[in-house]
Amino acid sequence: MSPKASLSLQQKVSVTLLAVMAALALLSYLVLNATVAPAFAELELAAAEKNVVRAHRAIQNELENLGATVGDWAPWDDAHKYALGENPRFIKSNLDIPTMINLGVDLLIIYDARGEALWSQLLLDGKLANHEKLAVLQLIESKPQELIYHTDLQGSKEGLLRTAVGPMLLSSRPIITSDKTGPIVGTIIMCRFLNATRQAALRERTEVSLTWHLIDSESLLDESLMEDIVAGGAGSFTYAVDDEEIRAYGLLTDLFGEPLLILQADTPRQISALGGRTVNGALLFLSAAGIVIAIVTWLLLRRIIVLPLERLANHITGIRTSGDLSLRLNEKRVDEIGALACEFDKMTLQVHDARRQLLDQSFKAGKADTAAEVLHNIRNAMTPLINGIDRLSKTFRIAGDLRVQQAIEELYDQECPQGRRDKLLQYVRSAFSHVEQASDRAVQDLQVASRQARQVEAILSDQERHANVAPVIESLELQSMIEEAALVIPDKDTSGIELSLHPELARFSVVAHRVGLVQVLGNLILNAWESIKRSQSESGSIRVTARIDDSGERSLVRVTIADSGCGFTDELHPKIFQRGFSSKRGHLSGLGLHWCANALASMGGRISAESAGADRGAEFHVVLPGSTTEAASARRRKQQGRDREVGKDREIVVAEMAGRMQREYAQR
Amino acid sequence: MNTHSGNRIRVLIADDDEHILQCYRMAFGENDATDFVGSLGSLEAELFDQDAESPAAPKFEIVACNQGGDAIALAARAATEGRPFDVVILDVRMPPGIDGVEAGSEIRKLDPEVEIVFVTGFSDVPISELARRVPPPVKLHYFNKPLSFMELAESVAGMVRAG
Repeated sequence: MSPKASLSLQQKVSVTLLAVMAALALLSYLVLNATVAPAFAELELAAAEKNVVRAHRAIQNELENLGATVGDWAPWDDAHKYALGENPRFIKSNLDIPTMINLGVDLLIIYDARGEALWSQLLLDGKLANHEKLAVLQLIESKPQELIYHTDLQGSKEGLLRTAVGPMLLSSRPIITSDKTGPIVGTIIMCRFLNATRQAALRERTEVSLTWHLIDSESLLDESLMEDIVAGGAGSFTYAVDDEEIRAYGLLTDLFGEPLLILQADTPRQISALGGRTVNGALLFLSAAGIVIAIVTWLLLRRIIVLPLERLANHITGIRTSGDLSLRLNEKRVDEIGALACEFDKMTLQVHDARRQLLDQSFKAGKADTAAEVLHNIRNAMTPLINGIDRLSKTFRIAGDLRVQQAIEELYDQECPQGRRDKLLQYVRSAFSHVEQASDRAVQDLQVASRQARQVEAILSDQERHANVAPVIESLELQSMIEEAALVIPDKDTSGIELSLHPELARFSVVAHRVGLVQVLGNLILNAWESIKRSQSESGSIRVTARIDDSGERSLVRVTIADSGCGFTDELHPKIFQRGFSSKRGHLSGLGLHWCANALASMGGRISAESAGADRGAEFHVVLPGSTTEAASARRRKQQGRDREVGKDREIVVAEMAGRMQREYAQR
Repeated sequence: MNTHSGNRIRVLIADDDEHILQCYRMAFGENDATDFVGSLGSLEAELFDQDAESPAAPKFEIVACNQGGDAIALAARAATEGRPFDVVILDVRMPPGIDGVEAGSEIRKLDPEVEIVFVTGFSDVPISELARRVPPPVKLHYFNKPLSFMELAESVAGMVRAG
């Protein structure tokens, strides 16, 4: 894969991850603001409403408390007698200022059965005050039926009442005996002002920021807000919300059901603030988690997918630029990419094998076609030649059988009859005529033979031209070449000859003509096998090893085929690679070591042999241009890090090497 | 078996090499020399060895061509004229036209009795394939070049006599 393509894939992954992360953050923001924030706002409103209810309940408790106090004083024989005018000391004994302060009562009034006020006392801020100036009694007495007169022994009248000094809690009960039997002899009324002191006390007790507003023209509340609250009626709540707090309002009515007081509970927006912090915290956490996940995912994708794909792409590029199908990824992973790499290796191997088979097949097919054509043409050319010679032979055989000598001897005989003499003369003339014709035909036949011989020579010259075509030079895995060459040993060989291939062979590759190399190696292995067989020993071994040959500047591989066979003497050593030499007694040799030496030379290699002597085995060393697979791996790694120019350089070097070897082959 | 006219054996020969056709003609006695040698032999027998006179050599009537298609046409015309060939000799490779095997197969359809002889320098068609395509095997013969056409002529005469 080119660097540009690699970056493109990484960019796609990065952009995709960033887009997914941004979408996730936006979605989280929307979801949290649509669900969590409103929930906190509702919770906050509920808290504000609860504060109003709590304030309202606190005022009700005040009223109940006042009612309970009145409930203690009204059914009392002392008070009963006082209302009847029978206990004048009642006031002095029970109703002094400290008692009223202790009871929390600001106004206390005792009426007789006729509704006449028997005694009253008003305290403002703990001090006696003139209630007449404040017109509180007049206010109460203006509603005697509702506030003063009681018909039920257990009856009570409690509620809020508007006064000149502010709203006031009022509780009224009939005065009866302690055993709560009648008759009703009067009414006792206790009042408690909702002043600033009590407001502070209620705030402290309820822990609610509580205020109240009288419904009148002097109210500080917005007029429209007040109208909304009044329109909502008692029991409903109205809210005014700003950034700092929620102001919740509730309506209180007086004893007569008229709107009197607006309760205001101020609730700081702590819940909303908490909700906001929660949402922000959640968003921050999700963002951080998203970033971490994105980074981890990116790294994993890069390590698990991008880099392996990049390696695969570089591998493919390496094969394309070098044309070396022997390169392998050898990926050890067991996932899909590992399977892909493995399958690619298998496919490359199959293509390699297919190319090799195709080369073999084309080579053999070419040879077969050439052989067929040559056979056909040469046999056609030979046929007139042979028939001419055959005819020539027959003609002269006839001439040789002529009995001319006998005819002439009879003609010398004077006693030969004239008739026979004439026929003998005719015979002699015909014989000479036949010899003359035979000579003419012989000349023709020899001319035909000469022409056909030239035709054969022309056919052979044409084949000589084809012999100069250079074979394909390629990188070859040495072990597979030797394994293929070893197939020359008969399958059913039971002679106990062991052929061992050194494991190190798998490391080496050589640059050579495949078919030629297989034939050379096969010839050497077969020679070794036959040498052992000739040695008459019961067992033997053929060992094939390889190593780097560092004797020259070029990278060379030395392959050694060592056998335990007949070996050869020092006298034979110089002749081994000569044309026609064979150590096989009475056996038709194969390609021969002379041919092997020439073939290896044409591939840029060489061959040598050594032996410790007769019956002491032999070693044949084949040296060829090549490189180790480790070097090939290093080349691949280097190639991944290089730019395209480096790849081109290497391609040029390989092309030059192949071209040089092909030129050498053609020259030879 | 086809009935040859008089003592002459009719032979159709197809080979793309004119020199080989010339060899065929010489071997199968289609020239004056044969007659001349025959008359000389008769005179010699009369003068020196009356009892050792050799039997008369077979006579051939040769029709030659260079292509398989021409051989089919000649065989068809001969069959139409009522003068079928006794023996057909075919080269296997006769470029650029059809090969000898295909020609033999077509000629066999025209004349089931004719002896068909394949003579070739090299054939990439196995003999079993030849027998399948040009049956019956008893009337199919195969010779490899180079060979003595005089011996072939004797074999052809033998085929006709045996047939």
